[in-house]
Amino acid sequence: MDNPLAGAAANRRSFLSLMGLGAIAVAGGGTLAGCGEKAANEGTAQQVDQLSAVLPKYQPLELVQPDIKGVSPVANGFTKYPASLVDAITEKPGRGSTITTMTPYWGQVPAGPGQNAYLDAINAELGAVVTPGIQDGNTYADKLNAILPARDIPDVLCIPSWEIPKIPNFSEAVKALFEDLSDHLAGDKVKPYAMLANLPTVAWSNAIWNQRLMAVPWPTDGPYPWALFYRKDITDVLGAAVPKTAEELYQFGKKVTSPDKGVWAFNNILAMVEMIFRVPGAKEGWRYKDGKVEFKYETAEFKAALEFMARLYKEGLVHPEVVASKGADAKLLFSSGKIVMVQDGVGSWLGVQAEQQKVTQGFNMQPVPYFAADGGQPLVHGSGDPIFYTFVKKGLPKEKIAEILGVLNFAAAPLGTKEFELIEYGVEGKHFTRGEGGWPQGTDLQAKEKADQFRFLAGTAPTIKYDARVPTYVNDLINWENAAVGFLEKDPWSGIKIEMPAGYVKVKQPTEDKITDIARGRRPLSDLDVVLKEWRDGGGEEGRTFLAKALSDAGR
Amino acid sequence: MTALLNPSARARRRNRRPAWEEPPTVAGQLVKGAVLTGVVLAVLIPVWSILVTSFSSRQAIADAGGMVFRPRDFDLSAYVLIFTRGEVSRAVWNSMFVTVTGTLLALVCTVLAAYGLSRPGSLFHRPLLLFFLITFLIGPGLIPSYVVVTSLGLKDSHWSLILPAAVNAFNLIVVRQFFMGIPGELIDSARIDGAGEWRILTRIVLPLSKAVVAVVGLFYAVGYWNMYFNAVLYLNNSEDHVVQQVLQAYILAGQSPAGIGSPPALGFNAPPSLAVKMAVVVVVLIPIVIVYPFIQRHFTKGVITGALKG
Amino acid sequence: MTGKTGVAGPAQARPLPVQATPEPQAAPPPARRGMTLRAKFHRDRALLLMTVPAVLLLTVFHYLPLLGNVVAFMDYDQWAGDSAVEAIVNSPFIGFTNFAELFEDSQFWDALRNTLTLTAFQLVFFFPLPIALAILLNSVLSPRLRGFIQTVVYLPHFFSWVLVVTFFVQMLGGAGLLATVLRDNGMEPWNIMGNPDTFILLVSTQGLWKDVGWGTIIFLAALTAIDQSLYEAAASDGATRWRRLWHVTLPGLRPVVVLLLILQLGNALTVGFEQFYLQREAVGRQAAEVLDTYVYYLGLATQDYGVGTAAGLFKAVIGLFLILIANRLARRFGEEGVFVRS
Repeated sequence: MDNPLAGAAANRRSFLSLMGLGAIAVAGGGTLAGCGEKAANEGTAQQVDQLSAVLPKYQPLELVQPDIKGVSPVANGFTKYPASLVDAITEKPGRGSTITTMTPYWGQVPAGPGQNAYLDAINAELGAVVTPGIQDGNTYADKLNAILPARDIPDVLCIPSWEIPKIPNFSEAVKALFEDLSDHLAGDKVKPYAMLANLPTVAWSNAIWNQRLMAVPWPTDGPYPWALFYRKDITDVLGAAVPKTAEELYQFGKKVTSPDKGVWAFNNILAMVEMIFRVPGAKEGWRYKDGKVEFKYETAEFKAALEFMARLYKEGLVHPEVVASKGADAKLLFSSGKIVMVQDGVGSWLGVQAEQQKVTQGFNMQPVPYFAADGGQPLVHGSGDPIFYTFVKKGLPKEKIAEILGVLNFAAAPLGTKEFELIEYGVEGKHFTRGEGGWPQGTDLQAKEKADQFRFLAGTAPTIKYDARVPTYVNDLINWENAAVGFLEKDPWSGIKIEMPAGYVKVKQPTEDKITDIARGRRPLSDLDVVLKEWRDGGGEEGRTFLAKALSDAGR
Repeated sequence: MTALLNPSARARRRNRRPAWEEPPTVAGQLVKGAVLTGVVLAVLIPVWSILVTSFSSRQAIADAGGMVFRPRDFDLSAYVLIFTRGEVSRAVWNSMFVTVTGTLLALVCTVLAAYGLSRPGSLFHRPLLLFFLITFLIGPGLIPSYVVVTSLGLKDSHWSLILPAAVNAFNLIVVRQFFMGIPGELIDSARIDGAGEWRILTRIVLPLSKAVVAVVGLFYAVGYWNMYFNAVLYLNNSEDHVVQQVLQAYILAGQSPAGIGSPPALGFNAPPSLAVKMAVVVVVLIPIVIVYPFIQRHFTKGVITGALKG
Repeated sequence: MTGKTGVAGPAQARPLPVQATPEPQAAPPPARRGMTLRAKFHRDRALLLMTVPAVLLLTVFHYLPLLGNVVAFMDYDQWAGDSAVEAIVNSPFIGFTNFAELFEDSQFWDALRNTLTLTAFQLVFFFPLPIALAILLNSVLSPRLRGFIQTVVYLPHFFSWVLVVTFFVQMLGGAGLLATVLRDNGMEPWNIMGNPDTFILLVSTQGLWKDVGWGTIIFLAALTAIDQSLYEAAASDGATRWRRLWHVTLPGLRPVVVLLLILQLGNALTVGFEQFYLQREAVGRQAAEVLDTYVYYLGLATQDYGVGTAAGLFKAVIGLFLILIANRLARRFGEEGVFVRS
């Protein structure tokens, strides 16, 4: 959706040529079902919520009371900076070792230890030489798919959750490459690492592979993947009301779309339309209803959602650039007022608002409160799964592992500690100055030296912090998020870690292509039945059987 | 444009039409002018908008809703952003080292091999040709390449970019084709004078093949200058980064990972202004625009005629 | 080859991707029939030595890792064992199962058909255009003007596909320049960017715009190698501009044209990725799926490196096959002397 105009393109192309096409099948040892000679990957389902024995004991550490409380799994909000900071870790965790790490970053890579005051300050506190290897977040999967099979991995490796499905047979990879942390952190063993013990248990339970605790999770601070944002400054002028039903959404589109002025209502909002029509979203679209396991394509809700989306396309309410190319920059079109309502990640809110308000007088983007097609109770997709996982290289000496966990513990220190301030902002006077209400304000040196080298090693207890650029952000975000918690879809498979069978996975893209054809009006809606049959025969049934079995195995 | 194609009297003196060539017809010149004008405009207009956009403020870009065609303001902030932090200038040096060293090495290897293969009937000629041709058809996979490069200790070295790309079969075969087109009598007479293969190559073949060597050199140079993916794989230290790596980072800053709704925690900043993206395009293009005329210099007619007569 | 004699000449079996020019290359070194290997080595040792650096580099950086492509015949498990090499050694051979998997998938054939159609279309209608442009440019007398045009037209080669597609969208798309002008004049803009039926024309035009200038470079170099005295001779024989083009320029370019055509055929199954990936949703899979996007999506779903590698091998084999056929055809044409160099 927001591919960079002039670039990322190049990666994939070079990737392709490097691999001589074979490449694109992102390295893999996964196998396919249905071939006699191949070991068929039938998927795995493990019930991680039954494995409490390997989980660290939760010991909450409330140093600062939140100014606005989030309803779990929504993060707490902090608008006032703590008056005094706690020195939470008094003993240096390091013994002078050099510890190599790899974390993603979306920006310039700063210099390493010795040439970087931010790193050096933290390393001095740690008593270790942490040497970050920062990788471009957009080519992270490519890099992983080179270094993991080559067994060329750093001591500490951060893997974003969305890259895990791109690594073949990940549970096997975990076994081959990473240290089992159960013996270091399970139960009371986590005690020396008080900051890690402060991470929510639900996050830890996601870090289990093969019945063992294999990683330190980076808890999410927002359960919702998507939101509809609208330009309040524009709709106020036009007098277009915020939609509360599907029909109102359509009318909204009709009202604000004006090709003569170069303005269209939407980008591709299919994910949100599905939510609005209460299409199931668990495990990418499954639900358990009336004793039956159903996929979204099989539901009346989906049919209605698809019909609605096709109508938006047909009547030209989606911006033509978005329709014509995946490379269209919906964020830019939204900022420019060429798109009035955009489906985007919740995380984009602060940045876009802060940047664009400097340019456009009165720029005001707001999320549409979640609603249902008929105006009734909405269904909201979401999950509390962690954002990153941090793995430790297999086979390191015990002392070094303890040292590494100490470093991760340091990085996990929550708001209200000196450690948090150091990791998050750097050294006062060098990397930040005190701004309004004592909140640190980054300097140019911070921008130059800090690339979340430590922040992405370990998350803290979920926190939304005040931002001076958009003072109302913390309250707006948490109120909006809290309002929707009650509508979060219940995942029948929650607490079960699922790897779907290969036969099912394979039919996904072809089916999505056909659905796109229907949405874009290239095939009639009535074809959905044909598509559905092809999906069932092509592997959909296999998926259903698998998920049904996972449920009954779990006794649900 | 059409007027430009009808050179003035002075220009005509400079660009002498060969005596044997008939003067152009008016209609012919008009058609030629129209076609070339069309082609040039089809490219120049977008290039112009890249340039204008890179010098536009966020406001101007927002009003245009994308690429800006009519300049409204002159805003240097995109270039200031790119050049103030110092990564770009360091990366330019790194890229220049890679490009210059790589192109020289690649040219030497390619020209030598092309000449070695330009004599059908020589020993192992056919299997060697097949050896090269196959590399044009199929490439190795990511993992084995990575293993080979790292086992040779090339990780975190610019040679990891230079060596694997130093021989390109397409370029090699093109150069060989040109070598084979050189009149045989020239080479024969040299041989009769007692010249060995090395001498024939350096004294006769190469001087006659300046154009193709320049072209292939350009191909290699452009490849090295634009190298990105290998750099991502093999260069971990920021001081080693090459120009594409650094520039991509400006473009990608603030991009959320494709296809996922990003949670607030990732704290993505707003995507960089379109001006920054376009400024990156411009910065990459500058050396390419500067270098090309030097290559074109070798596109002079009649090299071989001169050689035969001389 | 080693068993054959060193006698070269028009009649001798020519090596691959050869040009069909019979006489201009260097006459073979003095050779006798039945020359021993040793004597041949002695004669050609300088030539062989010259290929050594390139052979070494390719052996290390191409052929050595290419051994990894053996996973095309394996049920590859990259985590079996403690190193990448061990993983390959430990994975079981499964013969042609990976290939069968491709061939049994109807979507693979759809993609193959689209790819071949595109290649054929582009070869017929678009391959000649850089040649025409090169000739046209070459006829511009002012070096400064010629240089300017050359530089301008070669720029788009360096734009990413995202940028190229963006330009097309901003010109021809529903919110683009053309649509705006039409709307302002009360006309309904028609759908150029999202029409599956004309997609082949659209992507080819995009490709042409991006690479026509780049494509002229080799031909511009080839034009320099044409003996100028031939033009003079032709002109004094009364040949017109067009006849000189036909009888001097084109035959002069022929070896390079034939060579590039042959090499292009070797890449017949590669028509690009990014361009199709970006516009896939706009026109649908039926129209936009090519082999590379097919394998990409397959890989994304299954992560089966074995199947991906198999697809790569398939492409290479087809490419080699096409090259050999084209080469044979070219030779035949050469012998018939349709384009004999004057």
